[in-house]
Amino acid sequence: MPILETRGLVKRYGSVTALGGLDLSLEPGVIGLVGANGAGKSTLIKILLGLIDATAGTAEVIGYDVVAQGPLLRQFVGYMPEHDCLPGDVSATEFVAHMAQINGLSRSAARERTAETLRHVGLFEERYREMRGYSTGMKQRVKLAQALVHDPRILFLDEPTNGLDPAGRDEMLDLVRRTGNEFGISIIMASHLLGEIERVCEHLVVIDAGHLMRSGPIREFTATTGTLAVEVDGDVSALHQRLREAGLEAAHEGRQVLVALDGEAAYDIIRDACDDLGVGLVRIELLRRNLEDIFRERAGEGVHAAS
Amino acid sequence: MQPADARTGNIYDLGYRNYTGKRLGRRHAVLALYFYTLRGAFGLGRRTSSKIIPIVIAVIAFLPAVAQLAIAALVSDEVDIITPEGYFGFVEVPIALFCAAIAPEITGRDMRQRTLSLYFSRALQRRDYALAKLAAFATALTLLTLMPQVLLVFGNGLATNDVTGYISDNWADVPGTFAAGLLIAVLCAAGSLAIASQTPRRAYATVGVVAWFLISFPIANILVFAIGGVGRYAVFASPFDFIYGCTLWIFGVGAEFESVQEEAGFGLWTYFVAVLAYIGAGAALVVRRFARVSA
Repeated sequence: MPILETRGLVKRYGSVTALGGLDLSLEPGVIGLVGANGAGKSTLIKILLGLIDATAGTAEVIGYDVVAQGPLLRQFVGYMPEHDCLPGDVSATEFVAHMAQINGLSRSAARERTAETLRHVGLFEERYREMRGYSTGMKQRVKLAQALVHDPRILFLDEPTNGLDPAGRDEMLDLVRRTGNEFGISIIMASHLLGEIERVCEHLVVIDAGHLMRSGPIREFTATTGTLAVEVDGDVSALHQRLREAGLEAAHEGRQVLVALDGEAAYDIIRDACDDLGVGLVRIELLRRNLEDIFRERAGEGVHAAS
Repeated sequence: MQPADARTGNIYDLGYRNYTGKRLGRRHAVLALYFYTLRGAFGLGRRTSSKIIPIVIAVIAFLPAVAQLAIAALVSDEVDIITPEGYFGFVEVPIALFCAAIAPEITGRDMRQRTLSLYFSRALQRRDYALAKLAAFATALTLLTLMPQVLLVFGNGLATNDVTGYISDNWADVPGTFAAGLLIAVLCAAGSLAIASQTPRRAYATVGVVAWFLISFPIANILVFAIGGVGRYAVFASPFDFIYGCTLWIFGVGAEFESVQEEAGFGLWTYFVAVLAYIGAGAALVVRRFARVSA
């Protein structure tokens, strides 16, 4: 059963179209939602949470209609917004326990889960202090904790690493990945940073200007590029020259030559060329693309991965 | 030596487990918000500085009752300085102050701190949120409008050395006291939240509530006494005036000589209708505001 399904989802603000008829069907897992700022990521998440109404179309999350079955569905949904949302004058314990109760947990269950969840996100003694004194990293942890405290079946994270330093970013991503993998909670993580998505997510949804560009497993996006990196111990430029003469599309880059792979013959040509030139062949590697490359291509900055 | 288990290697793993217990749903969510807001109205669970204003105002609201009891204890006899229908006149200013100070906190906090999106993405609806806040604030105000009178009834009874006799003598006033106390609390809650919820800014909200209570009062009196005619309808714009009129009607007491209610000349039942209309309109405005506010 899909964890999330939208049909013809449209959202217009006056004459501006934020979502232009989005059809999406996603299986459980850790899913990255990627798009430039203003692509419609937050709009989509807010519709799924029932925070805003769609202009047209329907959406179901874990089998519940987001409008007709809103309060029922939202018992099982967690949301970590992009913006600040924490009151300064209460403690993390008090606040998260309250939020757990708003999600339908009894008072005692809320207290117990609050303690566990705050430990899970790495907040210890400071959880009894007023939140106004917290660092950005601690606030982000509380925001994650309030989204997790009721053990949701699906978790929406909107730019969870916003404002974090590199170390905090690593910890947050690690936390997100483990939460998704070890506890069976499906995660929809919106981000404009592809590197983060690549580290955490199994599935990728790309939206652009309110339309679905592509949806598929991360490995489909980062499939092999058809580019070989050839590293040699010797004269790199001579090898580059020789490979071009042999009719291969090749580029010189640092200590290696990048070769476009069209057919098995390329391997033999490289081997023979190295032999002829008397250079030591250190490594031939089939490069995998990372997501950044794909988006750079989309933006039309580079047409060929090897160039 | 045993190799460390990768899953216990991280300290965060001490905590999280899946939750298999009951989920109590929307009703529970509304009740939880109600009690949290009620506690918050008196600053409970918050820093000390948030407790000072509500508690000082609440104490002021109890002062007339306490003063009468002190006098009664000294003269050791039944003292009726404060009549049930007159009590509102003694506490109207503390009630207005409480509304002006606390109503902006009840609705403004969540807008200002953008906590609304966390509420609205949970197991309640926008309407539930608005009504839970309103109910909680009305309950908080009930403590101010009703509790001093409850204290007064029992205190007076104790002072007369015949508690049961006193209570049976004054039993007729109890339903009226409760009705008036509840109506005043709900009206003040609905009116001040309707104003305060329109802005996340605390200062604007406070000024708005103060204006509703205190600025309308002299203006209405000028219009009624000095202009008359159509100006008499201004009495329905001044909460102090129409609340008092409503209280008089509930206790079946006529308007005092040269009071604004007498000068305006409307039947006292019209003030009761006005109170109900204000409650309905105020509640509708609060619900409408939270149905539209962006979260």
